[in-house]
Amino acid sequence: MEFTLKTFIFYGFALLTIGSALAVVTLRNIVHTAFALMVTLFGVAGLYVFLQADFLAATQVIVYVGGILVLILFGVMMTSGRLEMRIHIERGQLLLGAGISIALLMLLLTVIANMPVWKNLTDDGRSLEPTTEQIGTMILQEKFLLPFEVVSVLLLVALIGAALISRKEVRD
Amino acid sequence: MVVPLISIILLAPLAAFAIFALFGLAKRSFPRQDILSTAAMLVALGCSLYLLNETSDPKPLTVEWLSLGSITLSMGFYLDSVTVIMLIVVTLVSSLVHIFSIGYMHGDPRYPRFFAFLSLFSFSMLFLVVSDNLLGIYIGWELVGLCSYLLIGFWFEKDSAANACKKAFLTTRVGDVGMFIGMMMLFSKFKTLSLHGTGGIFTLLTDPTKFTGDTADIVWLSIAGVLIFCGAVGKSAQVPLHTWLPDAMEGPTPVSALIHAATMVAAGVYLTARMFPILTSSSSLIIAYIGGITAIVAATIAIVRFDIKRVLAYSTVSQLGFMMLALGAGSYVAGLFHLTTHAFFKALLFLGSGSVIHAFHAMHAHHGEEHADDNEHEHDNHSLVHEHGSEIPPDQDMRNMGGLRRKMPFTFFTMLIATLSISGVPFVFSGFWSKDKILAGVLGRAMEWNSIHHYILFAVALLAAGITAFYMFRLIFMTFLGEPRNQEMHAMAHESPWVMVVPLMILAVLSFPVVNHLWFNKDNFKPPEQVHLHAPEQAVVLPDTKIGFTFFGISEAEAAEDEGALDAEQADDAHHVHEVAHNIAMALSIIVAGLGILLSWLFYHKRRFSAESVATTFRPVYTLFWNKYYFDEFYNGVLVALTVWKSRLFAKFDLSIIDGIVNGVATITRAIFAAFIDFFDNRVIDGIVNRVAKVIWSVGGRVRRIQTGAIQTYLFVVLGGIVLIILIFRVL
Amino acid sequence: MSLQHYLVISSILFTLGIFAVLTRKNAISILMGIELILNSCNLNFVAFSRFVEPAENIVGRGDYLLDGQIIAIFGIVLAAAEAAVFLAIILAIYREFGSIRPDEIDTLKG
Repeated sequence: MEFTLKTFIFYGFALLTIGSALAVVTLRNIVHTAFALMVTLFGVAGLYVFLQADFLAATQVIVYVGGILVLILFGVMMTSGRLEMRIHIERGQLLLGAGISIALLMLLLTVIANMPVWKNLTDDGRSLEPTTEQIGTMILQEKFLLPFEVVSVLLLVALIGAALISRKEVRD
Repeated sequence: MVVPLISIILLAPLAAFAIFALFGLAKRSFPRQDILSTAAMLVALGCSLYLLNETSDPKPLTVEWLSLGSITLSMGFYLDSVTVIMLIVVTLVSSLVHIFSIGYMHGDPRYPRFFAFLSLFSFSMLFLVVSDNLLGIYIGWELVGLCSYLLIGFWFEKDSAANACKKAFLTTRVGDVGMFIGMMMLFSKFKTLSLHGTGGIFTLLTDPTKFTGDTADIVWLSIAGVLIFCGAVGKSAQVPLHTWLPDAMEGPTPVSALIHAATMVAAGVYLTARMFPILTSSSSLIIAYIGGITAIVAATIAIVRFDIKRVLAYSTVSQLGFMMLALGAGSYVAGLFHLTTHAFFKALLFLGSGSVIHAFHAMHAHHGEEHADDNEHEHDNHSLVHEHGSEIPPDQDMRNMGGLRRKMPFTFFTMLIATLSISGVPFVFSGFWSKDKILAGVLGRAMEWNSIHHYILFAVALLAAGITAFYMFRLIFMTFLGEPRNQEMHAMAHESPWVMVVPLMILAVLSFPVVNHLWFNKDNFKPPEQVHLHAPEQAVVLPDTKIGFTFFGISEAEAAEDEGALDAEQADDAHHVHEVAHNIAMALSIIVAGLGILLSWLFYHKRRFSAESVATTFRPVYTLFWNKYYFDEFYNGVLVALTVWKSRLFAKFDLSIIDGIVNGVATITRAIFAAFIDFFDNRVIDGIVNRVAKVIWSVGGRVRRIQTGAIQTYLFVVLGGIVLIILIFRVL
Repeated sequence: MSLQHYLVISSILFTLGIFAVLTRKNAISILMGIELILNSCNLNFVAFSRFVEPAENIVGRGDYLLDGQIIAIFGIVLAAAEAAVFLAIILAIYREFGSIRPDEIDTLKG
């Protein structure tokens, strides 16, 4: 594989994603991990762009970075207090977790490497037309209309539920 | 069309009962059980009438029910003319009795339950009738027995009713045991209980590979036939198991009409008719004799009864004897025809007597308190056989009646019609035709075979017919004519409400020969063939020279040999003989019926002769009749006393010897083994138990810690497990 | 940049997420791990949808199906809902136990 600018940028995004994810799971300060997660999410958005999923990349940035991450930070603020920002880690648990995770990774990599139909599926370098319009059509007019409605109801229910659970209980 | 109709016929009454069983007890008074049950019966009646057109091609409709190894028991329906006529009789009488009961049982505290039981009974009886196999018949048979028990004991506060229902149940059970053994004999031989169709018993009887027809087989078949007939003896109250039926009159009168006159007791006759093809010469003769003896014994007892219901009960027994006699003498159609006509006029007589009783009393209003008192006074459970001769309820005692004809004109006229019918008044009443046919059948068989047995039976039947006319008119004269004997009760009497009178009138119409065409206008109706019944070959049979019927058919195989050549000739002869027999029998039966009525008129209306003086003159005979041939005393004195004595003996044996042994052993055991066992118990057994408990305790305490409650531990285990599983599957 | 590149990246993300869920002693960190896992899933969907040919090529849609992308969008929506509920539960737990350390919340301990 020739080493073009495109591949260089791709590997850059890949390393950014993985490196920041590593930071998410290793850093001791929870606020730091939250910011590392933000970087990871940005990296994934970049990978989406490489996969020609422009709309999805934008959604990823807006929803995750703008929504979920802020939510997480609020959660940190409301629960951890100033003194509990540091995360305790037990050595035994850490080793066991690492063992299981690495075993899992090895398995996945074995599967990926040994799947013949997945080989040679390379990016032909074509640039495709923007997907936003098509996605809009499919969601709002075609076969994903019903799932869209269902998922919107689900979101509503989740928000109401979250509000109900998190509010202070009024004891009478 | 047949199967759904039969299903409706069966399910309608069952549903009426089920609704009561499920919901009736929940609310204390389920409002309209009477309407429900009556409607169910009317539906069944409609379906039965429709089925009349469906009998041209009788074949069993079966489903496999139970597989026992290589043997399969099936359940199913069989619909031929006999079945349909029985269905109509049962549903019709049942419907009318339902309607009558609406009036008769009005105000009873267990009014809905009564109708539910009637529905259950109707279902059971109909199931019995349509079953194509002995197992189904047996199931229905026991179910009607249960319903009879429940309904006889319907007023169970009365000691006499409680005893009567036990007696009925146990007495019929004696016959049922015989019936079951007979069924099992057939089952062991043919490996099936189905009667009809290609795999049925009746077909297999003609199959030489299954049933050779040699002497041993005929003997075996005769015994099986007699044993099955035992069931009929119990259910149809034939001598010697007839004693329960008169006592069964303790039940409400509509029950007596439906169960103990028209339908259930006729089930025995129906069963015998269904089993007609397996009857051999010897079992036929036994049946005929039992029927004849029953007819005359019950008729003579009926003469001297004063309880209006018991007169009718003995009359029923007697008439059932007639039917059995007919079947035993080979007059299949006559027997079943008499069953039909008898069902109608006897139900009418019972309902009429119910109407009279209803007129007299306020029993329903306060029988509860009355019988609560009874319970304390007479509590004698030692004997199942209930003594009733001396304690006739005043509202059933004919000596209190008389002159009711003006008070109750409808009841009187309808009962008069039924009485004329049962007495055999010629030509316009159905009873005459059916009874005449029985007499003609017996006489015809006697002349055809020249059999002394059948001549005797004919004479007996004729005598019984005359006595029947006598006691039935005695009942009419004592109840409805003459002057009132008890002015106080007479003043209370009144005609019954319409709901009771209308069924009487319908039944009165049915006592005219309107139902005859069912039996005689059907081309397809002919009696089933009795394959193993043959005429004895000798011309004149005298009891002392040679017994006409070679018992258990020993010489029948020989007789069968030259049968083929003579067939046509014999058929002609037989026809001629029956023609002659019919004329003779008709003349004689008219004469005896007239004599009976005349004597009755002279005795009880004109008072030309005094019944009392005759009774004193023939004191021993009168005593015999009055005490019902001492059947009850025999059972009470011998069987019950024997059982009690035996039980006492065993109890004594139990107490002294068995208990002595047991106690002795116990003492020795306590002395010798107790110490050792105490040690063993405390150390070994307790030690083991405690050790096991301790081990489990400590293991549990350790294992408990697995359950940490920490979610991440669980997650570790889950993921580790997943990795392990995938590894295993990839390696293997 | 073949399909396998993306699959390897998503596998690593997934494994790191699992590691976080297994080892972190803070419920919010666990939530972050879950977010990592969800992202790896979405990346998988999009990658497969980009590279694997559809059974029948649908004209006018470009050369590949967008189904994977749309499912990824639904996945993002579900992640948002999940995060909201998760945080609500964490708040409730915090009020109840005064802590959000998963090993301290062990009322089911045997």
